[in-house]
Amino acid sequence: MWQAAALDPRTKLFLVLIFSSLAVFIKNVYILLLLLFITLLTVKVIGGDITSIFRKLQRLITVFVAIIVIQSIFTAEGQVILQLVKIKLLTDVGLLRGVQTVLRFFIVIAAAAIMTTANPRDIIQGLIQWKIPYELAFMVTIAIRFLPLLQEEAKDTLTALQLRGVNLKKIPLFKRLKTYSYLLMPLLVSVLMKSRDLSVAMEMRAFRAFPHRTSLRELHFCQADYLVMAVGMVLFLLLLMISVKIN
Amino acid sequence: MISLQDVSFRYQRDKWLFKHLNLEIKQNLITFIVGPNGGGKTTLGKLMAGILKPQAGTVLVDGLNTKDVALAEIGARIGYLFQEPERQIFAASVRDEIAFALELRGISQEEINTKVDAVLKQFQLEQLANLSPIKLSRGEKQRLAIAAIMVNQPRFFILDEPTTGLDRERKGILSSVIEKLKDEGIGMVIISHDQYFVQRHAQQIITVAGGEIVDVASCST
Ligand SMILES: Nc1ncnc2c1ncn2[C@@H]1O[C@H](COP(=O)(O)OP(=O)(O)OP(=O)(O)O)[C@@H](O)[C@H]1O
Ligand SMILES: [Mg+2]
Repeated sequence: MWQAAALDPRTKLFLVLIFSSLAVFIKNVYILLLLLFITLLTVKVIGGDITSIFRKLQRLITVFVAIIVIQSIFTAEGQVILQLVKIKLLTDVGLLRGVQTVLRFFIVIAAAAIMTTANPRDIIQGLIQWKIPYELAFMVTIAIRFLPLLQEEAKDTLTALQLRGVNLKKIPLFKRLKTYSYLLMPLLVSVLMKSRDLSVAMEMRAFRAFPHRTSLRELHFCQADYLVMAVGMVLFLLLLMISVKIN
Repeated sequence: MISLQDVSFRYQRDKWLFKHLNLEIKQNLITFIVGPNGGGKTTLGKLMAGILKPQAGTVLVDGLNTKDVALAEIGARIGYLFQEPERQIFAASVRDEIAFALELRGISQEEINTKVDAVLKQFQLEQLANLSPIKLSRGEKQRLAIAAIMVNQPRFFILDEPTTGLDRERKGILSSVIEKLKDEGIGMVIISHDQYFVQRHAQQIITVAGGEIVDVASCST
């Protein structure tokens, strides 16, 4: 076996694209399940963190239930499984569509976990070698890096606000809107300040001083990359064909 | 006031920061927490205020378990000053920053005005009242943050490094405010590296290092 973590980040990006576009195209629940299994297997082989995928899903459970119920209420067809007064809370068609949506979510989240095994610097390098402008590639990675930080800060801000004796649950609705503006403020400030500091720091280190950049480290596809991409392509076509046939 | 019973806490899965901690903080004392950087002072303060919840053991504030009670409930009893003042600056002007929490809690405008004016004066923030808090200097932000929690008139304070960024004169003002509160029977936990400040106010000193309470000392001032 080759060293899986050493796969080119472009190969990983390619896999993510394949899995997520398949998740969108395929309608059949069984094929979606198969795809999910393949995606999870890939994550495992590449050395991604499967437990973190499940943890993310756990937080979305209420959303999932809501999706299933909403699909049931607004889909006219189907046998009713659960009914409340006159509202069809659960129908078999609704359930099917709900499960479909949930599986799609699941696959996309799992596919995204493939990218977390790649070094961010390598991702920029890969994008650049795909002829994407350096500034753009750099911005994308910065955004990816700062997002979790922002989430953390949002949580802290909410804590700080509550500690001032503001109980969000007890505030009347019209006042609550104002409360949200108070929450947004420190976040906005922090983002603006950070970006200002970052841009100054970058220019101090001569970012963009020369129009053309060269890289010390260049990425090269190796045999494993070609193999994985080929297998991925075959899988893509195969699953696509099967799902078209079934419909 | 605050009682930690057999508290264990960790940030990461395999690394306990505190194990089986027991501690009583009395309502009417000024307790200092001192110790080296990274020793766990801030974490201990956050556990006391219910910002962090222990994985094992219980933290009681006024007999209420911090795990069960809403943060706002604790906020009404304890004023908490964050180590980084930016984290707790919400409003577009200095005045509004002090007033908005009172407004959201439905206190009458008249009462708010008197309270806010008094606090602005106390911390010499009158001239800055209409400025945006973002533009303040570090020390001014710190004073604003302290003023904003004092206006709530809680019965207890937890201050995480309140003297950071304050000049001598402003430290003096903070000192006299602390003394005044102490005379009113209001206690506090102060985390500080400021030797002078500790010696001046401490009635009890807790030394925290490496996630352990290495020393609890009472002192008379
Ligand atoms: N959010 C967090 N996630 C993981 N580890 C953390 C987090 N916050 C603090 N720590 C770690 O916990 C330990 C104690 O941190 P703490 O902030 O309580 O120290 P401190 O005594 O307040 O230090 P200082 O004097 O610098 O303020 C440190 O080793 C720190 O790296
Ligand atoms: Mg600290």
